[in-house]
Amino acid sequence: MNKQEMTLDQVLSQRREAKREIVNVDEPTAKLVIFELQGDWFAFQGEKIREILSQVDVFFVPGCPTSLEGVINVRGDIESVISLHELLQLPESVDMSSSSYLLGSGAGMSSTIRVDKVVDVVDVLLSNIHKPPTTLPEHLRAIVSGILQFKEKTVTALDLDRIFADYSHGLG
Amino acid sequence: MALDIKKFISRFVEEAREHIKRLGEGLDAMNRDSVDSENINAIFRSAHTIKGSSRMLKLSAITETAHKLEDVLGALRDGSLNYRPELGTLLYRGVDAIAGMVECLAKSGDGAALPPVDEALCASLAQAATGEVSAVVIPPPSIDLASDGRQLTAEPTSPPLATPAPPAATSAPPAQAKLSTSDTVRVRLAKLDELIKLMGEVVSSHATLRQRLLDLRLLESDASPQHWEQHRARLHHFGQTLRDDVQNQELLMDELHDKALIMRMLPLAMVFDSAGRVVRDLAHSVGKEVECAVSGAEIELDRQMIDKLSDPIVHLLRNAIDHGLETSAVRLAAGKSSQGHVTLSARQDGGWVVIEVADDGGGVPVEVIREKAVRKGFISAEQAAGLSDQAVVDLIFRPGFSTSAIITDISGRGVGMDVVKQNIVDDLQGEVTVETRLGVGTTFALRLPLSLAVMRVLLVEVNGLPFGFTAQYVDELIRVPHEEMLTVVERNAVIIRNEFVPVVLLADLLHAPKRLVKTTRSQAGTFDHGMLLVVVRVRNEKLALAVDDLLDERDMVIKPLPEHMRRLTMVSGMVITGRNELVSVLHAPALLELARQMRGQASRTEAASHANAGGAAYRILVVDDSFNTREIEKDVLEAWGYHVTLAEDGMDGLQQARAGTFDAVLTDVEMPTMDGFTLTSMLRQEEKYRDTPIVIITSREKEEDKRRGIEVGADAYIVKGDFDQSSLVDTLRSLLG
Repeated sequence: MNKQEMTLDQVLSQRREAKREIVNVDEPTAKLVIFELQGDWFAFQGEKIREILSQVDVFFVPGCPTSLEGVINVRGDIESVISLHELLQLPESVDMSSSSYLLGSGAGMSSTIRVDKVVDVVDVLLSNIHKPPTTLPEHLRAIVSGILQFKEKTVTALDLDRIFADYSHGLG
Repeated sequence: MALDIKKFISRFVEEAREHIKRLGEGLDAMNRDSVDSENINAIFRSAHTIKGSSRMLKLSAITETAHKLEDVLGALRDGSLNYRPELGTLLYRGVDAIAGMVECLAKSGDGAALPPVDEALCASLAQAATGEVSAVVIPPPSIDLASDGRQLTAEPTSPPLATPAPPAATSAPPAQAKLSTSDTVRVRLAKLDELIKLMGEVVSSHATLRQRLLDLRLLESDASPQHWEQHRARLHHFGQTLRDDVQNQELLMDELHDKALIMRMLPLAMVFDSAGRVVRDLAHSVGKEVECAVSGAEIELDRQMIDKLSDPIVHLLRNAIDHGLETSAVRLAAGKSSQGHVTLSARQDGGWVVIEVADDGGGVPVEVIREKAVRKGFISAEQAAGLSDQAVVDLIFRPGFSTSAIITDISGRGVGMDVVKQNIVDDLQGEVTVETRLGVGTTFALRLPLSLAVMRVLLVEVNGLPFGFTAQYVDELIRVPHEEMLTVVERNAVIIRNEFVPVVLLADLLHAPKRLVKTTRSQAGTFDHGMLLVVVRVRNEKLALAVDDLLDERDMVIKPLPEHMRRLTMVSGMVITGRNELVSVLHAPALLELARQMRGQASRTEAASHANAGGAAYRILVVDDSFNTREIEKDVLEAWGYHVTLAEDGMDGLQQARAGTFDAVLTDVEMPTMDGFTLTSMLRQEEKYRDTPIVIITSREKEEDKRRGIEVGADAYIVKGDFDQSSLVDTLRSLLG
């Protein structure tokens, strides 16, 4: 639309519109990658996840701890595959053919994490993410950064930095 | 827009490093021969440039030091000051201080993080510029003999006693005369142009392939049963053209690969150049006269290796000066020149580079190490007595052996030798050996592959999974019929040319899962033709690994594991196969270690089961030139409760026998220096061995050999081919009663 053809009312309403949008955006949000493991929903901060891969071949590496399932080839770079099942005390997935792999980096290391499936990648208002309850089981307390509701399910947000830091200390 | 100071700082660091190198070389030249004006001019310019460019970035500590350095060099240049060795030392300190600050800057990237200027050094330099060098206080560099041996270099910038140390100085990194390398690499333009030209070729070759795809589509659409013959001819032609294209492409890729790899190569001079100064500093700090000769600096190595070589080399140089070389007085008393010699040399040997650090000092005191190892509880007294000299010297590579306490007590070698070994063996896929002669000197040899990036790899298959071995560790590939397999201490072994070699299923060692989908390449039935064994060798120790199949053997690009997985000792890297599979390249030394642990467990179980076997208290001497055979016989005998001492040839055996008392002797026949027959007849002439049981264990099956064995006085003759542990133990029992 040409500027000269706008009426004053139109211009004013456009400005109001713009102002309202700014107000909306102003509320801080966080990007989350929500994924499923054994029917439960978890999430990582979006900026920690560089890429989501599916249908990749995982190759065995001798001498790995059980949580390290092997390595994959990401365009010539070798990345490890970590399984969170042991950490979260979940039973091992039986069918891995539909697994997805979240390529993340944090605490100075990079690795993929195998998940059963990726639910969604969403922007969530920070105010909707709550502090983890004190009743959280012992093994989760250190690695859970928050709890939120998404599509009427509870999503547990995990701290990737913490998980990777623990991981690199624990290995070897 | 705010100025991006970081960008300028990294540029400054690069430039300053160049100038520091030039300053070092210039001072070296000054130190060596007469002072020529051209040289002084050159280093003056370098100091001046550092001063100028650091001032622009407000790096005042560097500016100040460079400025004072420049003053002294200026005085030398205009002749108002004459060069003297003490002045040289002071100038080195100045350059080292600048180098330390530049490295600190390289790490932090922030000018504010620089340590404050070393006032004392600047004052000394200022004083020197006026000609009063005698008054200069130069604190000796402190050499840290801490147990970890990690601190490699002198710390020349600590202030003199008169000035209290500023608190910041303790946290600031010391100006280190570390052999450092840079993060960037300079490439000749011509090389880069060649690479770009090749890349252009690859692009056009790709275009050709696209064309082939169009050709194929055309062929498809033209295909009709009526013109089948004509069509087949066209298809054949298409196949030929495609084959030519692929061949062309392969040539291109190879060339591209070679050219790209060359860019990773750097001359050893990167590490060797500063060695002279490091040696001088260290020698000065311990008050010894040392001359350092360097050769082979022009040999090029993969830059990844160059980076990791500087620490081990400094370790070895330190060691040579600290512990290898004697003091002048001791040297003179031993009839040597008062000045010690350290040689740092490199030479190419096939696809390998051998770097040697040699000294003409006192040599490693083997007996003292043997005694210390027992006292420290690393080995038992019996084990110590059975170890060969070489094996004793190798103890210095054990973690924890080389603590400062031991070093000061025995004046022997060993500061952080385990770290050296780890760097060379684990990180660089190389080997470390040490040769020493008492009173003559010691040579440490580092054997390294030319490049870590590409290596000859043997691919094998186990449980349907591929695994790789780098060729340097593969001794041979053999197929052995099942009936030739021996069982020794619940473990398999084979005899390969008169030597027992333990056999382990690679699948068991690696805990390799069974691949659910059987690959087409894996053919059942290979097992029927015997066991396929990959014999790996690390130094003189061998291990035969049973595999299902051999897949391939060629030069492959080795990719590193992710950082956090590098602690997995069994895998040294990964290769990608033509099928796009990632394959673990196994690290033979780690496999041997693992097999040894498994063997240890097996022996203990077996020993427990024979606890009442009654072999206890008998002392047996085992003589064999093969490490593996000795170890296996020892395992068998110890499992049955015997005390075992080892000797590595006839002469060694004779000496051990004379030095100790044994209830029985087991010996091989073919050995260097003295064979088993001679040993037997010599022992029979000794009073205390006239009636001691002597058992010959050999692969010689001929009747005449057996007869000869009996003639020289052996009590039993066991052929290795028939060997099983019970026959050995039964024989011993019947002989010992």
